Amino acid sequence: MDSDEDDFVFYGTPIQREEDLTSRKKKAIAESSAQLRTLPAWKQEVRDEEGRRRFHGAFTGGYSAGYYNTVGSKEGWAPQSFTSSRKNRAEVRQQDILNFLDDDEKAELEGRFLGMSSQFDTFGSTAAEVARKEAEKEQKQRPSIIPGPVPDEIVLPATESVGVKLLLKMGWTRGRSIKDSHADALYDARRQGRRALLAFSSDDPKVKISGSEPIKDDSEIFPEPSVNDDIQSAKSTPVYVLNPKQDLYGLGFDPYKYAPEFREKKRSRISSKMGSGYSKNFSSRDSLFGLKSGKSAPGFGIGALEELDVEDEDVYATGFEFEDTYVQEVEEPAKLSLEFQKKKDQKDQGNLPGFRVASNSDYQMERFEAPLIPKDFVPHHAFSGPLEINHKNHGIPPPDVPAPEDSNLKILIEGVANLVARCGKLYEDLSREKNQSNPLFNFLSGGTGHEYYARKLWEAQQKCIDQPKQQLDEKVPPGVKRLTAESRGQILGERPLERSSQDPSSSDASTDVQLQFHLTDTFIKSAASFSEIPDSERPFKNDPAKQERFEQFLKEKYKGGLRSTSSSLAGDMSEAARARERLDFEAAAEAIEKGKHGKGNKLLIPSSMDFIPGGVMQFTSGAAEPKKDLQTEDLMGKMYPKREEFQWRPSSLLCKRFDLIDPYMGKPPPAPRIRSKIDTLIFTSDSVKSNKVEKPIAAKQDISHVQETVNQDISKSIAENEAEVDVEVENIERPVDLYKAIFSDDSDDEREELNVKKTENQEKKAEVANTALSRLIAGDFLESLGKELGLEVPPDMPYPTQISRNAVLQKEIINENARPGNLMGENNSEISQNHGLPNDQDIAHESGPSKVDTIYGNMLESGSTKTKGTNISNSKLSRSNRENGDDDRKLKSPVTSHRDYSSSLSSEEERKRKRPRHHRHRRRDAGSDSSSGDERDHHSSRSKGRKKGSSEEKSRGSRKHSKHHKHRRHESPSRSSHHSMEKDDTHPRKEKKRR
Amino acid sequence: MSVEDLPRKESTVLKGHDGAVLGVRFNTDGNYILSCGKDRTIRLWNPHRGIHIKTYKSHGREVRDVHFTPDNSKLCSCGGDRQVFYWDVATGRVIRKFRGHDGEVNAVKFNEYSSVVVSAGYDQSLRAWDCRSHSTEPIQIIDTFADSVMSVCLTKTEIIGGSVDGTVRTFDIRIGRETSDSLGQPVNCISMSNDGNCILAGCLDSTLRLLDRSTGELLQEYKGHTNKSYKLDCCLTNNDAYVTGGSEDGYIYFWDLVDASVVSRFRAHTSVVTSISYHPKENCMVTASVDGTIKVWKT
Repeated sequence: MDSDEDDFVFYGTPIQREEDLTSRKKKAIAESSAQLRTLPAWKQEVRDEEGRRRFHGAFTGGYSAGYYNTVGSKEGWAPQSFTSSRKNRAEVRQQDILNFLDDDEKAELEGRFLGMSSQFDTFGSTAAEVARKEAEKEQKQRPSIIPGPVPDEIVLPATESVGVKLLLKMGWTRGRSIKDSHADALYDARRQGRRALLAFSSDDPKVKISGSEPIKDDSEIFPEPSVNDDIQSAKSTPVYVLNPKQDLYGLGFDPYKYAPEFREKKRSRISSKMGSGYSKNFSSRDSLFGLKSGKSAPGFGIGALEELDVEDEDVYATGFEFEDTYVQEVEEPAKLSLEFQKKKDQKDQGNLPGFRVASNSDYQMERFEAPLIPKDFVPHHAFSGPLEINHKNHGIPPPDVPAPEDSNLKILIEGVANLVARCGKLYEDLSREKNQSNPLFNFLSGGTGHEYYARKLWEAQQKCIDQPKQQLDEKVPPGVKRLTAESRGQILGERPLERSSQDPSSSDASTDVQLQFHLTDTFIKSAASFSEIPDSERPFKNDPAKQERFEQFLKEKYKGGLRSTSSSLAGDMSEAARARERLDFEAAAEAIEKGKHGKGNKLLIPSSMDFIPGGVMQFTSGAAEPKKDLQTEDLMGKMYPKREEFQWRPSSLLCKRFDLIDPYMGKPPPAPRIRSKIDTLIFTSDSVKSNKVEKPIAAKQDISHVQETVNQDISKSIAENEAEVDVEVENIERPVDLYKAIFSDDSDDEREELNVKKTENQEKKAEVANTALSRLIAGDFLESLGKELGLEVPPDMPYPTQISRNAVLQKEIINENARPGNLMGENNSEISQNHGLPNDQDIAHESGPSKVDTIYGNMLESGSTKTKGTNISNSKLSRSNRENGDDDRKLKSPVTSHRDYSSSLSSEEERKRKRPRHHRHRRRDAGSDSSSGDERDHHSSRSKGRKKGSSEEKSRGSRKHSKHHKHRRHESPSRSSHHSMEKDDTHPRKEKKRR
Repeated sequence: MSVEDLPRKESTVLKGHDGAVLGVRFNTDGNYILSCGKDRTIRLWNPHRGIHIKTYKSHGREVRDVHFTPDNSKLCSCGGDRQVFYWDVATGRVIRKFRGHDGEVNAVKFNEYSSVVVSAGYDQSLRAWDCRSHSTEPIQIIDTFADSVMSVCLTKTEIIGGSVDGTVRTFDIRIGRETSDSLGQPVNCISMSNDGNCILAGCLDSTLRLLDRSTGELLQEYKGHTNKSYKLDCCLTNNDAYVTGGSEDGYIYFWDLVDASVVSRFRAHTSVVTSISYHPKENCMVTASVDGTIKVWKT
């Protein structure tokens, strides 16, 4: 057995069905055959014809194997579309072989059936059929608006035949006849003839009825397409076929029925005109077939041969043209009634064929007549007020009736009236109901005193209405419009014009001022409140005139009314004074308002005044001395807050960390910020090579240098008066020297003090250490002090060295102001110095314990500075001031920015350029001289001499010590002792900055 | 919010600092506070239960300011030892120390992503430090100030510093622009309004000034307290209705934001009220004083 199975016998060669079998397939076959032959059974693998292994064994996908190799579907052998017909036979269609075929088999069979591909389905019948079936199917599935099969009849799916497509491609558009362009003479003539015929045909509508016809007036029912079309447009063709041919005739057989309308028409025509025999024949046929066949021609595409004109409704009725003409020929002698026909047609144009306009439609537009507007109607809407009394208000006031004798009743009536006026009509009704039995309340229901009640009620209502208005007006000043004409008249007529005498303004102004007064006076409450303004609310008691003005101002402000254009009471005041006064008034009024409306009246004016820094001080007294404060404060207000903008470059990493896009991405690093106008001027005007060579940091440093020098120059220029000669001498030097002065400055110094340098360095270190120590001590000391005292630093401690930026700023401003007249230089410097002091004080306190070290230093220093500053004669004073200024600038690190300082220093800049030498010497003096002011007198000659020497030395070159000389500049071993403290304080900071 | 809702009732007194407390800050959700002081410690408290939770010791000198990250996991502090410390809150260890300020560091703040610490120093500079990398060099030094920088505020895109030179400088990173608003008075403390449109600047002339950030306009001035020599904090309430600040006489002031009237003032401490912090959501406030106490105020 085994051997039998092992050995398969092959007959012939397997047929290769396809030439292009994949190599894989071949290989698979070869393999399998080879396998089958060689391998033992348990090693053979089953593969499909593609060579894929399909049996995987139980563990590796047996199902898949079975599925692929046994059945073509998951369902196995069950036929795909089998339904038992036992129970519902009706539903089961005739079975077909296709029902039992699988998809692939169907595909195989595809080629064997004959069928028209929809592509070549010229008439669209097949396609239309398919589409219709589709629609039917769909119809069954979804509910439709119109029940039944009707919609399918009406709405046919539009399909495009190849012919239409071709025509479209050739440039034909829908709605145009194809043969349009071929209109030749013959055609035209024929058409004319036919039209004439048509005209004749509908000659006599009355007679045309034949007995068999169900519908009487045919011409009315069916629009005549030929004429119709002619009139409308000769080019229109129906886009789709409405009705297929339905009669029993073969295609193109019936000569008469190609267009039912025609047929009808003709029939009627014939019946009316011709002999009965012919017509009968016609009509009978019509009745037989015409009605059945419907209105349109048999579904037939446009023939290529079609010569028919567009008059014919059905373009597809190609083949009938011949017959048509034939018939027409027969009908030639018809009468003409063109006009009538046309009219009919036009009338029916809009209708669907087969429909006619109903004589009486179900639907009628309902129209209502607009209501009649009474002649006296005024189109103005009156809004109802908060209470309904408002309506009554406008009614005619009840007549004034004398009060009833009974005073009790009178009081009662009045009280009720008031109540009702306030609470509304509801109250009246309520009380009437309640007190029905009470004879006292008879007046409510028309008893005694009713008229009086009515009057009182009206009055009370009037009052009530006025009140809210008044409140409203208090908030919104221009509320005058609300006044009724009546009350206005009352106001104008009844009030005496007593106040007009007070008005100093011109006569025409006075009238509206008066008006204004009276308007305000009508508001009784407010007027009263102002007549009795408490003393606390009379801020200008001392100045009755002013107080009067103030009151009027208040009236104007809060009580509404017209503003008098000319300020009435303050006629003799200047504009500025008036404006200022007005500001005062505003402030005062605000204060008073606050006092009134705030929580209780406890907030009196003085306290509430506090928050208005500027104007308030003034109205407490008319004296002049607070004005100064005002001015300075105003100045402050003008100056601060002051906004400036600069470029600032955030580092890219910072942007990244803030998750922002670097605004300077890809741009070169910005130039160091220009700190003042001077810098720009310097850098732009003098192009010095050395500047370019400098590293950016160094450049920055230089800027500060320049500023320092400039500062010194400012103070120097104060001293200029004394030393005019010097100026003359130094004018000779060229501006470039400024840079030399700046950049070579250090080396000069260094050159001189080369020998001292080392010791000095050491000294410096020691100094730093000392400083640190002293700071610690001082800090601790002051900490404890601060703890005890709550850090009350002695307020009057002189503190000239730590000048805040403000102080500097102010000083400089003043200096600048004084600059034009150089003569005042000294005084100014003095002033500025003094001015700086109090401000310094603030800074000294500024951060409490943290800054005590500097304070300490100042304390140490104060004595000497003080004596220097005050005791020396005038010239010396100025000098010492200068020196202080120098020191300040040095102590204040270069950053002591001179941005603010940038305003218009061009003059100084010039001056500085003229005298670069000069200030250089000065600096040197400050730095290296043993710094007693007395020696200053000789400084120019001395320094000059020295300068020569230094420049010579410079040629020898000693640049390598550049790091040290920077310190040198700020420090000299021989400087006066009292500076050492602060100097040291600032020193380390500076060192770091420079690096 | 009416005046009655202002936190004026003393709820808890937190004692523990030896010596003056220089700063107190709520964390982001308002559940904890950090305080720092002269005793060189930073302390973490639960102000609502009055519990002292943790002490952070590492500073060599007084600690002047402290700030939480938004996620409360890290904190940064600064002080008299010229260093900025970057701490881990839970372990209490210093993650990083940023050295570089040439003077005492007055204020410190995290940015929104807590990736950068910005510190304000006595050395007239603002420095931005990177928390992400291991670099101890500042990312950026802003040294356009002319005097000690006392306070710093950060927005998403801006760094704002207030300085003794009387300016409030806004550094907009997005457009690379510095806007300097000069107030003319040394600025002690700046604090942002919660809507971010205004800056409240405490000046050393005993005035708080409210600035419009977009225009630089002075909107209002708040006076009545004394602040002449100490660095005092000021802030707005969490609904921006009132301005609050301490005074050197131990009082706390509440001003109406709009009309600048003092709506409330009461004595809170025996000595200078150095710092004040308002709860981000509730009507609660903590104040710190030189007298060494921290007080929690509620309505």
